[in-house]
Amino acid sequence: MLRRRPQLLWLLVPHVLYLGALPFVNPFLFVWLLGATLLTPVAVWLTRRGDRR
Amino acid sequence: MNAAVATSVFGVFMVVTVALGLLAMRGRSRGSGDGGGLAEWSVGGRSLGTVFIWVLMAGEGYTSFSYLGAAGWGYNYGAPVLYVVAYMSCGYALGYVVGPMLWAYARKHGLVGITDMVAHRFGRPWLGALVAVLATVFLLPYIQLQITGMGVVVSTISYGAISLNQAYFIAFAVTTGFVVVSGLRGSAWVSVLKDILVIATLGFLALYVPIHYFDGYGPFLDRLVTEKSQWLTFPGHGDSGLGQAWFITTSFLNSLTVVIFPTTVAGYLGAKNADVLRRNAMWLPAYNVLLFVPMLLGMAALFVVPGLVGAESNLALFKLVVDSLPAWAVGVIGVAAALSSIVPMAVFMLVIGTMWGRSVLSLVPRWERRQKGVAQSVVVASGVIALVLTYTAPNTLVRLSLISYEGMAQLLPMVLLGLIWRRLTLLGAMSGLVVGVGLVCGFVFTENDPVWGVNAGIVALGANLVVALAVTYAGPRERDDRPDSEVLARDEIGVAEDGADAELSLAPAGTGH
Repeated sequence: MLRRRPQLLWLLVPHVLYLGALPFVNPFLFVWLLGATLLTPVAVWLTRRGDRR
Repeated sequence: MNAAVATSVFGVFMVVTVALGLLAMRGRSRGSGDGGGLAEWSVGGRSLGTVFIWVLMAGEGYTSFSYLGAAGWGYNYGAPVLYVVAYMSCGYALGYVVGPMLWAYARKHGLVGITDMVAHRFGRPWLGALVAVLATVFLLPYIQLQITGMGVVVSTISYGAISLNQAYFIAFAVTTGFVVVSGLRGSAWVSVLKDILVIATLGFLALYVPIHYFDGYGPFLDRLVTEKSQWLTFPGHGDSGLGQAWFITTSFLNSLTVVIFPTTVAGYLGAKNADVLRRNAMWLPAYNVLLFVPMLLGMAALFVVPGLVGAESNLALFKLVVDSLPAWAVGVIGVAAALSSIVPMAVFMLVIGTMWGRSVLSLVPRWERRQKGVAQSVVVASGVIALVLTYTAPNTLVRLSLISYEGMAQLLPMVLLGLIWRRLTLLGAMSGLVVGVGLVCGFVFTENDPVWGVNAGIVALGANLVVALAVTYAGPRERDDRPDSEVLARDEIGVAEDGADAELSLAPAGTGH
């Protein structure tokens, strides 16, 4: 599936921002997570753009 | 006087809610004698567009917990409450792939829920019934939590004029009043009213509370970082055990679980095409920004109403509201919070009714042709059971609610892995499920959650997966002559998705295999 639709990797961005980066990030934490919340729609939009091409 | 004004505002909106829910079905019951059948009632005839699906799915995610629990957790612990935002955003992103996959599978085979899907996947009607019973055990506490949450809100905003017990009954009556008749479509219409009120009231409170109590965000954040810095990093305030390992594992587990949660799947299946779900995966995370408001206001309450303990801390936000706003505004904010109980409760009841009408009671031959009527009866029954237990044994369901999400997570291998991997055997999936649910119950009921600093549900899911794979590889391959295209689910980008709907078979899924 990933070979056919590599754009799905964009969907990992929220996981990296919320979960992967958390030990390093750990009011800064709130601002970071608010940023992650605002970037999630962008990550999905990039996936969708790849799908539509 | 205050009580009369706030209660009147609340009463008017409750009447509007029921009317709106009933209006949703106007014109829908003509042309088919049974009011449109089970698919029309339970998944909105698979015809809801982007806006309705957005408000419905956002509405499901925004429950009374968002007003009460989120503020309470913000007040008690601080940072750990952010797991709600993290798992919902990650879950919505995963929904970009899983939603269209489940939607296409359900439409192709005429299915209306996850119990149907597992029954079809493994070709065993009894498996759908088993999953329905298990899911009901995990979902029933949520109905009770919404009834309790709405009771607390209504009692508070009426300045005590409406008692808790009366408020519990109002929650049950209003929800049952429209969901039995209108099903998912009624819930979507009520969600529109709810989301308008939620966005308006939380947007207002986000500006008003810091200005009213602290002269703006600058002074508020200054006090927060100088006096309450423990609330701003993990593990938060106190000896909660909610450290960053707990946050990461809980957010990850819940983001996987939310995509197969029966209420989420009901939203998926209500969409008129798969692209509606892809568009929604993009816009739904934006709604989560609103969740920061009750969390921050919960921490603001630390300075305004210090010393709240136990369940009282859940009212941190409402104590600010009642303390600082006129009665009519208290009434409107109370309505927004009440609707945040009603919409999710309606979908929970609808899903339980659909699961039993479709997968359990339809196994009785004489009820097989009356699935919608049976499902509607189960909706009322599930609401009555939750209401009666709220009055008589509230702790029973509270205890069960502790395992709800982690228990539902144990269905992941059977539902999600099963739909993409043909080799998984029924024996493997069942063995994993038994081990996973057993471990969750063991950890939670012996008060070992978190265990080793991580969410107990993810430990159980790991064991579940290992057992499922071991039993699958150790045992014989299953004999099932159906082709992969009949058994497995695919997210078929670019494949025609707007064709004629699959005929909704009256027989329970899996029959004849």
